[in-house]
Amino acid sequence: MTLLTPDMVPTVVKTGASTRRADEAVAPRFKAGDRVVARNMNPIGHTRLPRYVRGKRGVIHQDHGVFVFPDTSAHGGGEKPQHVYNVRFETSELWGPTADRRASLYIDLWEDYLEPA
Amino acid sequence: MNGIHDLGGMHGIGRIVREKDEPVFHADWERRMFGLFIAAFAGGHYNVDEFRHAIERMDPAEYLTSSYYEHWLHSLETLLVEKGVIKEQELEAERAALAKGGSR
Repeated sequence: MTLLTPDMVPTVVKTGASTRRADEAVAPRFKAGDRVVARNMNPIGHTRLPRYVRGKRGVIHQDHGVFVFPDTSAHGGGEKPQHVYNVRFETSELWGPTADRRASLYIDLWEDYLEPA
Repeated sequence: MNGIHDLGGMHGIGRIVREKDEPVFHADWERRMFGLFIAAFAGGHYNVDEFRHAIERMDPAEYLTSSYYEHWLHSLETLLVEKGVIKEQELEAERAALAKGGSR
C-alpha cells in the first residue's frame, strides 16, 4: 500500500490531486471558434455535464488540454484521457427569452460531452 | 446522475451567502477531515471522481442539510466501506463510542 509521507503532503495539497494528463498525446477533435452542441445524455453514473447545458449549442472558447474523463474514472472504467474545452453558451440559449441577453456562460466540458453543430 | 448536486438553474433555494473573511476551516474536525481525505487518497483507496460520485449518491435531503466537509466525511465512509477497507459494524461501533462521550 502507498503511504503518505510528510514530504509528499505539500504537493498533494497544492495540486488538489490534479487529473491533468499533460504527457498524453491525444489529438483534439475541436478548436477555438468551432460550433458545438452538448449531448443530451442522462447516465445513472457520474458525469460532469450539468443538465442545463444538455442539448444546447455553444462555441469552443479555449482548449485546456488533456484530462482524465470523470464518467469512466468514477466507475473503474479507466482514465480515457481527452481534451477539455472551455465552451461559451449564450444565456438566451440556456434560459430562453427572459435571460439577460448581455451575458454569456463559460463552462469546462470534456470532449465526449460534445458533438459538432 | 441527475441528482440533487446538479443545482444549476434551480429556483427557490435562496441567495448565495458570502462569508466575510471566511476561514479555511470552521472547526478542528474539518481540518482532520481534510487530512483524512489526503491520506486515504494517497493510500490509493479512491480517485477524485469516485469521491465526488459518492457525494452525489447521498440521500437528497441529507445532502441539502449537511455542510461541505460533512459531504466529504460521508464520501470517505461510503467508499472505505464499499472497498472493504473498514466494516460498517466498525463505523457503528465508533459512532456509538463517540455518542457515549468517548474521543478519538
